[in-house]
Amino acid sequence: MMAEKTSGLFTVAHKEFFDHITSRKFILIFSIFLVIAIIGMIGGIAQYQKDLKTYTDQRSATSSSIVTGYMSDRPSVMTVFATIATYLSFLGAILGIAMGFDLVTKEKESKSLKILLSHPIYRDEVINGKALGGIAALFLALAIILSLSLATLLIYGIVPDGGELVLIAVFGAVSFLFIFTYFSIALFMSTVSSDSGSALIFTMIIFIVISSLLPTMTNDTVMETIAGTPPQMPLELLDQMKINVDNSSKNTLVSFSDAGSSPAWNDYNTKMQAYWEKRTAIQGVFALFSPTMNYDSITQKITSAVTTKQLSYRSSGSATTAVTISSSSSLSSFDTSDHKDTDIAGILGGIIPNLVALLVFPACFFALSYAKFMRMDVR
Amino acid sequence: MIQFEHLTKTYNGINAVEDLSAEIRDGEIYGLLGPNGAGKSTTILMLTGLIEPTAGRCLVAGMDVTKNPVAVKERIGYMPEDVGFYANLSAEENLDYFARLYRMDRDVQKKKISDLLSLVGLDGVTKEVGGYSKGMRQRLGLAKALLNDPSVIVLDEPTANLDPQGVADYRRIITGIAGSGTTVFVSSHILAEVSRVCTRVGILARGRLIVQGSVQELAGRIGSCGEHRTVIRIESRSPMPVFQHPAITGTEYSNDRCSATVTATEDLRDVIADYLAVNGILIRQLSKDECSLEDTFLSFYQEAS
Repeated sequence: MMAEKTSGLFTVAHKEFFDHITSRKFILIFSIFLVIAIIGMIGGIAQYQKDLKTYTDQRSATSSSIVTGYMSDRPSVMTVFATIATYLSFLGAILGIAMGFDLVTKEKESKSLKILLSHPIYRDEVINGKALGGIAALFLALAIILSLSLATLLIYGIVPDGGELVLIAVFGAVSFLFIFTYFSIALFMSTVSSDSGSALIFTMIIFIVISSLLPTMTNDTVMETIAGTPPQMPLELLDQMKINVDNSSKNTLVSFSDAGSSPAWNDYNTKMQAYWEKRTAIQGVFALFSPTMNYDSITQKITSAVTTKQLSYRSSGSATTAVTISSSSSLSSFDTSDHKDTDIAGILGGIIPNLVALLVFPACFFALSYAKFMRMDVR
Repeated sequence: MIQFEHLTKTYNGINAVEDLSAEIRDGEIYGLLGPNGAGKSTTILMLTGLIEPTAGRCLVAGMDVTKNPVAVKERIGYMPEDVGFYANLSAEENLDYFARLYRMDRDVQKKKISDLLSLVGLDGVTKEVGGYSKGMRQRLGLAKALLNDPSVIVLDEPTANLDPQGVADYRRIITGIAGSGTTVFVSSHILAEVSRVCTRVGILARGRLIVQGSVQELAGRIGSCGEHRTVIRIESRSPMPVFQHPAITGTEYSNDRCSATVTATEDLRDVIADYLAVNGILIRQLSKDECSLEDTFLSFYQEAS
């Protein structure tokens, strides 16, 4: 019985997979994405090599003298994937929608669903088979993109280390989950709509809401309306402040000598930290409802965690506290902690809430599609 | 082989099919007749397990369709009215996909598909189904319905788009299959087609099965020409006398009285023949108007309305 059921599932999945990979819309979007990804990779690699040279120069300079200050960390190969992530957050969503929006409506319109369901096959095999075929096609598409990306890295003589390979795998998995999220939203709309046109329009409305409207809700104006204005720095501290601009990394570094011992600084620091925690929590709530925000957040952590990290050097036994304003983030972040090397486990730990939110979305929409398809009258 | 037990389907409070009960025997070709919206397709969709009845049940070979949908679908072959296939696949590829759902042996499957395409006249057609005419799709639909050697074939308006050759092929195939013991359930509004192929018909009106039986039985039950009267046409070589009989409700004569049309509540042909013989009138023609299936259908339908 079980074997019979599996047989129907794989028969449908097999057909769906080949339908996807031979469909013109899939080939077209995938080709565009592939070209953009390769061009982005080459650009990213050029930037990486430039950053690497800066790092090497700084390292050779600091090794010959004792300095007090900051130095960029060794750039990570992951920065190269930042460009792919940028395009994936848009083109990936389009690919997912294009693959899913007419999956059921097309069969309703051509009347082939009636024929298909008159055969000895369970309905769940049909809907699961469609999802499985889509998953396999998406997996293939991402596998090709990541393989080509790795190949491009190797052609340029860049060999990722073990940790970076893990992060690339995580990047691939998260990207897959992100595209599958939009695929499942489109599949749901295809199941509930009577025709492909309606399914596409409804899917695009959801796409616009969760990819554009929700991120707009987290801009500074809205955030300050909800969380209030950030605490102002006391004037006495401003007078003591020294501002240095690190031209090489384009990061603005603000430092205080012996700031850790100032009560005014500590008070300001505590208030600011509480404020940002509040803002982050509010943003987190918005992000939960936006796969695009979750994806951006995860990929940002994966691809930029190492580059924004600063190294603090102890000099003459005095503590140095750094305030880093990352230029790579669209949202200002406030980090007052003493910097430490961020390990892979730390990065992975940091993306878990977004990852869970990214898992919940496709799970919910697929469950809704499943429930609707199982109860649907086929006329 | 097929049983409908108090089958009812309700959409938005309106009964599309209401308390339908019927039994169709092995090897029978049963035609379900009815005007548009009578509930024929809804009945077929419940029989094939595509929609669930609101009440009652359908049984195929003793199995409840709702409770054992997959087991029932193993035994039936179905061709819907608006038969749909995958437009990007050829006829052979479409049949190959559906055959895999029956878990047929690959070699058997290949031969079966080749034989069926030849049977319906689509052998050698390699183009994608998207480029097929409606008639070609219907032929392919018939081949698909026969793919699993079903014990029950369900056909919804099978000849709606077929050309004369296609209709002739369809008749040949269906009668041949029924002859080998397969039960055929046909829904149609093409009355002439049903009367030529079906061994028994049921007339559905407003979701209710109002009458069923052989075409001859139905015609006999209603009299001739859809009314409770018999029309007898007479031609003689010399003028006829006036007919008088309690069953006669009207008589029309020609000017020369050599032809007449008698309307009566019963068949009076023998009485009229005897009467004319006694009066020395030689008969050129004496006939009763035969009732067509169309007349019968309309009569029952009007009665139900």
